[in-house]
Amino acid sequence: MTPKKLGLKQRYALMTRGLDWETTYQPMDKVFPYDRFEGIKIKDWSAWEDPFRLTMDAYWKFQGEKERKLYAVLDAFAQNNGQTGISDARYTNVLKLFLTGVSPLEYQAHRGFAFAGRHLRGVGPRVAAQMQSLDELRHVQTQIHTISHYNKYFDGLSEFRHMHDRVWYLSVPKSFFDDARTAGPFEYMIAIGFAFEYVLTNLLFVPFMSGAAYNGDMSTVTFGFSAQSDESRHMTLGIEVIKFLLEQDADNLPIVQRWVDKWFWRGHRVLGLVAMMMDYMLPKKVMSWKEAWEIYFTEAGGSLFTDLARYGLKVPKYADVATADAEHISHQNWATFYQYTHAAAFHTWMPDRAHMDWLSEKYPNTFDKYYRPRFEMWAEMEKQGQRFYNNSLPQLCQVCQIPMVYTEPGDPTKIAFRCSQVEGETYHFCSDGCKDIFDAEPQKYVQAWMPVQQIFQGNCGGASIPDVLAWYRLNAGADNMDYVGSPDEKLWNDWHAAAARAAG
Amino acid sequence: MGHELTIEPLGEVITVADGQTILDACLRAGIWLPHACGHGLCGTCKVDVVDGQVDHAEASPFALMDFERAGGKTLACTARLLEDVVIEAEVDEDPDQRRIPVADYDATVAAIADLTHDVKGIRLALDGAMDFQAGQYINLHIPTVAGTRAFSIANPPHEREHVDLQIRRVPGGQGTAFLHDQLKVGDRVRFSGPYGRFFVRKSRGGPLLFLAGGTGVSSPRSMVLDLLAEGWSAPITLIHGVRAELDLYDRALFEDLVRRHPHFRYVPVLSAEPDGSGWAGARGFVHEVAEHVFDGTFEGQSAYLCGPPPMIEASIGALMRGRLFEKHIFTERFLTASDGAEKKSPVFRGI
Repeated sequence: MTPKKLGLKQRYALMTRGLDWETTYQPMDKVFPYDRFEGIKIKDWSAWEDPFRLTMDAYWKFQGEKERKLYAVLDAFAQNNGQTGISDARYTNVLKLFLTGVSPLEYQAHRGFAFAGRHLRGVGPRVAAQMQSLDELRHVQTQIHTISHYNKYFDGLSEFRHMHDRVWYLSVPKSFFDDARTAGPFEYMIAIGFAFEYVLTNLLFVPFMSGAAYNGDMSTVTFGFSAQSDESRHMTLGIEVIKFLLEQDADNLPIVQRWVDKWFWRGHRVLGLVAMMMDYMLPKKVMSWKEAWEIYFTEAGGSLFTDLARYGLKVPKYADVATADAEHISHQNWATFYQYTHAAAFHTWMPDRAHMDWLSEKYPNTFDKYYRPRFEMWAEMEKQGQRFYNNSLPQLCQVCQIPMVYTEPGDPTKIAFRCSQVEGETYHFCSDGCKDIFDAEPQKYVQAWMPVQQIFQGNCGGASIPDVLAWYRLNAGADNMDYVGSPDEKLWNDWHAAAARAAG
Repeated sequence: MGHELTIEPLGEVITVADGQTILDACLRAGIWLPHACGHGLCGTCKVDVVDGQVDHAEASPFALMDFERAGGKTLACTARLLEDVVIEAEVDEDPDQRRIPVADYDATVAAIADLTHDVKGIRLALDGAMDFQAGQYINLHIPTVAGTRAFSIANPPHEREHVDLQIRRVPGGQGTAFLHDQLKVGDRVRFSGPYGRFFVRKSRGGPLLFLAGGTGVSSPRSMVLDLLAEGWSAPITLIHGVRAELDLYDRALFEDLVRRHPHFRYVPVLSAEPDGSGWAGARGFVHEVAEHVFDGTFEGQSAYLCGPPPMIEASIGALMRGRLFEKHIFTERFLTASDGAEKKSPVFRGI
């Protein structure tokens, strides 16, 4: 009788058995010093299900082929001067925001998962986190390579690494990840693995990648497909980690709930940059931010949290506030960048009439009432040679680091201010969500590197705006200011004039 | 039309319609395959094609590599069958599942009894015998309706020469109206079976908890009779919920089993019994009684749930609050064409 063929799952189990040995030269608690202090209790690491059963050998083979395909498309795009075929040069500002604000987060994710993989003592999550760590490194590398082609022609891209560490608004995504990476390994896994990679990922990547597709940027779309084939592992890891923690011990629930609340709110604040990108920066629109929020958070997140409710986990605190914010956040952010265009590493503009009509249609409850009049006034001032610039330095929220420009829930005419006192100092917050986060761990957030305070303390190159912009490595007059009148605009118009001449 | 799909290592055979994806066909047949994006981009649903030809359709070249296509892989969420196909998927092989081939059976109606005012017990005497696992069901042909209707087998598998069905009259239902009003002793009927993956995971051992609502008790009845006949020694609890005392049946049978088997516990519970009636037993919903009986803690149990969807959902909630999770919860779900329309997150596979 021939022996019965093993199932895929059994084959993998036999191939990987014994990877999680007990150390003898050193006690396990010394080898894994960080997986206890957060209060998470794990009774049985072997209950972790590795849903992918991917060996490193197979992993390299997969990623190697993905790379070959992606780089073939990138080469073709470059050889065919694909940059001339995008919808409009305004679109490249989306890439500037992505490369300075998002790509460095991929690198942070690479380091974060390497840390989590090292410090979780179960073999299942260790292998999964290790592979995700390598994926994230691949993502940042392929993003840089994809967008580097645009750097040959357009401003605002070349100093993305320096900018990410220094520029005021980029401290919003940077501090988000710094916060996650300075947490323990379990909080990191909930923050990035679950809240970011699972609950909010579609609100980050789908808008950027669909935006690229709608605007003729085939190289970025192809990068998106290449990355999305890794995301399945990441999302599955995010789901597995939350189930695992909730099933291991009843005491884990309140800790996990606090992290879900915190990281949902922090993620939502960071995504305000995506909201603005979708509603204002894409020459050809995919959908409004509000529509994206309804599909990817209200509906998909709704079914997720309905299922997780069986574990006793509640919908993140302030999810209702975030949903109400979806009516406002893109308009308030774009208004802020418009006012501070001289200090931004991408170009801004006031929407034209057709664009404003689209916003009126997509935001019938808010745009005409609260934002259109202001934008029309600014457009009119611009016409009369009195373009409005805000030359003050804004107060920042101590947690999300966004200027205090957001309005009260339920009253879009009133700026929201919250504050807490710690050791005689007053700290300011944009929302109840950010204040709660601070109040839970004040000693962490009082140490935050706040861009405006750092300028005032003389740590950012000098006391004048040109000094600070030079320290940002922002090429004033080219990287910043309005699109109209920029070198990018001139280049684009020259290309099209040449194309029109060639066409006769 | 369509083609046959065999899913290894389960050995299940299902029919896939033209244009239907492997994933859709499997999910509708109650076979869970890992999946995520549902449209060929992420690669979570990758399976091996062991035999036969498939069309990969819109599978992304990044999610299904060239070397994988050449090596016989496909994505279940996009693949369509070009002929009969055998796949191997990463599904859990269950050591307690016996592979019993589905067949057509002819039988004679041997007895019809009124179990309650709206439930009939119908015994079908087979021309031969049928092998089945306790908890499985049959698809019965009913002359007045197109297609078949599914009914769980209420008798234990060692009674091979007949099947007992417990059928409630569904208000407005054509199939059950026929069975209640027109079917007579001596009539000939035809059915196919046995179907279903609702069976006791005996190899796991340990205490068993059966939660049943209404005629959903028929599968647990078969399972309990089977277990006790085999000499199962760990504790068994059956909680059977109905609306009122007049809806309760098989009480004498289960109470007799309690007398003969001290490790078997039986708790009938009524959710809508009028106040002041003579009922001295439990009142409320099945999950409430379960929480009371087990003091809110279900760790160490294996739970088998059978009944209307709201009862199943409430019971899963109670079990999970009591720290019993998906690996230890089994439910019987009759899938209909509309299943899959509701948005489910990928948190749970089968419950």
